[in-house]
Formats: sequence, structure tokens, C-alpha cells
Amino acid sequence: MDEYQTEDETAFVVEESVEAAIGGNAYQHSRVNQWTTSVVEQCLSQLSKLGKPFKYIVTCIIMQKNGAGLQTASACFWDNTTDGSCAVRWENKSMYCIVNVFGLSI
Amino acid sequence: MEGTDTYLIRPNHQHKFKAAIVKECIREIVRERLSGMRYDPEEVPELSRSLADCIKDKVKNAGFDRYKLVVQVVIGEQRGQGVKMSSRCLWDADTDNYAEDVFMNDSLVCVVAVFGSYYY
Repeated sequence: MDEYQTEDETAFVVEESVEAAIGGNAYQHSRVNQWTTSVVEQCLSQLSKLGKPFKYIVTCIIMQKNGAGLQTASACFWDNTTDGSCAVRWENKSMYCIVNVFGLSI
Repeated sequence: MEGTDTYLIRPNHQHKFKAAIVKECIREIVRERLSGMRYDPEEVPELSRSLADCIKDKVKNAGFDRYKLVVQVVIGEQRGQGVKMSSRCLWDADTDNYAEDVFMNDSLVCVVAVFGSYYY
């Protein structure tokens, strides 16, 4: 039984979810709340459908394009052989979306 | 830590991941390191990485045995743009928890989230 999950697999699932949730929309302040929630929930439900023995933590940042800079960093204390993370960057003309997925094995 | 078998499927109440304590840890470190700082695109990568490592070490030393930690630091420039960050976790709500803190000054915004997951 393949217990491990590759980064590519995760990245693919996440990209699909982001595209489905906000693809083709322009940044609207009133809808951002709803978008982040739906991106994150979609990702999580697709990941749980994979049926792997992992706990997942998914974070999503949506930022309007206006020339400002943004930096994310993460430090983790876990088991390198079984746990991992994946970051997916998505953008369109008016906003950036960064999704981080951390998978912790049980 | 990961190799020893304790056969404990739930942490003792005293050993649970206490969000309030971790939030204090985060607050102290962030306020100390970022007060009076300006957003500088050259320095920010190094700053965010070292902040994440610092917070991870502090939380480790706070004594949460058998907890795997994920620390995420986001530093953004303040330029009037809209930003929203949200997260969801698929885990065991009895044993796992998280803590977060937001720091703002005139030129930057810093969000720190620490997630703790029990290793059975």
C-alpha cells in the first residue's frame, strides 16, 4: 500500500481546487472572505478524498495586486522521512493566491 | 522523540497544546524583533526565516512533548492593498490545536501561525 504522498500529487490537487474556486474572478474586497474559505475547504476535501494516513494543514493567502511585497516562511518540527509540505502560487490580473499544504503522517 | 513508544493515544491534560501559552511566546518574539522595523525587500526573506526558526525553538522548549510543530510566518508590506489569510486543518480536534498572532506597524504586517499536532 502506498502510504506516501508525493509533492506533485498534492500540487496538482491544490491547483485544481484554486482554479475551481476563484478562477476567472477579479479581486473584490467584499468577496475575499468567501473565496479564501472556499479555496481552503475545496483543497481539504480533495486531499481527504485521497485517503492517505495524513493530517493536513492548509493555509491560503489572497492578496490584491498593487506593487506591495509579501514574504512567507515556515519552520517545522517533524519527521523528515514521512512529513512534508507543498506551496502553490497562483495569480491572475488582479490578485495573487498562495496556498501552503502541510502533511503530517499519523 | 519519534522512536520511543509510549502507547498513549491522548496527551495528558497537562501536556495538551495550550494555545494561550504559545500565543504569548509568539507575541514576545515578534514584538521584540519587529518593533520599529521597516519593510525591506532585501532583508525580509532572512528576517522571516529567522523569525520562524526562533519561534519554533521557543515553542519546542515550552515543553509540548510528542507534538509535531508547524510554524508559518507571513510578512507583508503595508501599501493599502487588501489581504486575507485563512486556514483549515484536517486533524484530531481533541489533541491538536493552533495559535496565531498579528503584528502591525506603519510599514509592515506580520502574521504568525503555529500548529501543533500530536504524534500518537
